[in-house]
Amino acid sequence: MTWPERHLRLSQAALYLAILAAWELLPRGGVIPRLFVPPLSEALGTLVADRREYLGSLPTTFGEILVSYVLVCGGGIAMGQLIGSSLTARRMLLPVLRSAYAVPLVVLYPVMMVWFGLGSESKIAFASIYAFIPTMLTAVAGVAALSPALGETARAFGATRAQQILYVSLPASLPSIVAALRLGGALVIVGVIVAQMLGAADGLGYLITRHRTLLNSPGVYAGIVLVLGITGMHEILLRRLERKVAAYRQS
Amino acid sequence: MTRALVAIQGVSQHFGVDGASVPALEDIDLEVPDGQFVSVVGPSGCGKSTLLSLVAGLRLPSRGAVRCDGELITAPMPRKVGMIFQEANLLPWLSAVDNVAFPLKLRRVPKRERLEAAARMLELTGLAGFEDRLPHQLSGGMKQRVAIARGLVQNPAVLLMDEPFASLDEQTRMVLGDELLRIWSETRKTVLFVTHSLHEAVYLADRVVVLSARPGRVVDDVLVDLPRPRSFAMTTGERFGVLKDRIWQHIKHAERR
Repeated sequence: MTWPERHLRLSQAALYLAILAAWELLPRGGVIPRLFVPPLSEALGTLVADRREYLGSLPTTFGEILVSYVLVCGGGIAMGQLIGSSLTARRMLLPVLRSAYAVPLVVLYPVMMVWFGLGSESKIAFASIYAFIPTMLTAVAGVAALSPALGETARAFGATRAQQILYVSLPASLPSIVAALRLGGALVIVGVIVAQMLGAADGLGYLITRHRTLLNSPGVYAGIVLVLGITGMHEILLRRLERKVAAYRQS
Repeated sequence: MTRALVAIQGVSQHFGVDGASVPALEDIDLEVPDGQFVSVVGPSGCGKSTLLSLVAGLRLPSRGAVRCDGELITAPMPRKVGMIFQEANLLPWLSAVDNVAFPLKLRRVPKRERLEAAARMLELTGLAGFEDRLPHQLSGGMKQRVAIARGLVQNPAVLLMDEPFASLDEQTRMVLGDELLRIWSETRKTVLFVTHSLHEAVYLADRVVVLSARPGRVVDDVLVDLPRPRSFAMTTGERFGVLKDRIWQHIKHAERR
């Protein structure tokens, strides 16, 4: 039995409400110690009260995310297109890239701090490297899955190599490009925040760590709420984009 | 009407498979006069589709020459030769009319002109009113009509059809067959029509060329002396049965080997 769309929407909203209510009520009722999870209202109260501090950490955070985003998605998608469109390149490079993907790159962060210092450079370097390979692999998979029939058809109608790329391969891989953007963006946000938590002098991740060392749980969760807001915004934007390019999907 | 003639002269085609050379077509000689409808049949894997891709200029023969209107084919010549594949192969993000206009876009024909030409072709193939539909909003038969319109939009003298109705259900196939004959009688293209269906081959064509099993050679060249316009009633007649049986004898032996 399938539910009508309206029922699905309603129950999703109810689920969100239940989670928020649990966040508020369980600590208040003493089920969860407030030190571990303070009630939602306390976290939001701290966020409003200390808004100067939290908002002040955003320019650095957004700047680092943006630069990494451009590096990862620009470079990763471009390289993904190149590797994906050549069978030889795929066969040679994919196993190497997959094993590189398996390395927990977080271990590299201390090294990057030595190389690039405590400032934004080390965050950008870490987030970019962290997100690059999965983003590229997503783009490769998208290009590799394109049916050669459309290209062949275009060729039969006289398309040059450049026209085949411009009118066929590129539009046909738009869905996979958006999928790569979505994944790359999410990983870049994680990368920047984690790097800031591990060692920084500014940024949202740094704020979270500082409040944690002071055992100021509402302060920690105020930061977490902001991080959730950033990832949520990114998700909503990319979903919209995904719907826009849905027509480009090969049936 | 453009004067065209497809000439396949001493053509052999070999494919390299794992270092070995596998012959697909052997010494094919075939001349198609202007305006003739020729079906090409043969057992599975006999190289029928390869033959079409040679005429389409999508690949070069290992030996021999393929000419269209006297000109040697070395690359696709979309203005002389239109191609229709087994799958419609429409660009999923373009509307029906934009798909039909696509070959003209490749040649940088002004937008208005190419959309007008495409709309005319959609009308010819019975899709007036469906110009703005996206491929996924069309049925299989309608998609193939769009593909036929796209094959015709540059007014090529030759139409190559590679099992165009093979992935359609039988009823749609029969309707589209009659539609194709109507379009053909209105446009008088030279048609090379590859098919698995002996019924379809005889019903549509002036002439059926039978290829042997791999490597494909021409084993028979059957003139279909049924009157036009063709009708469903003819398919139960004696002559139709005789022609179909003659072709089936070749295929049967080849498929048994």
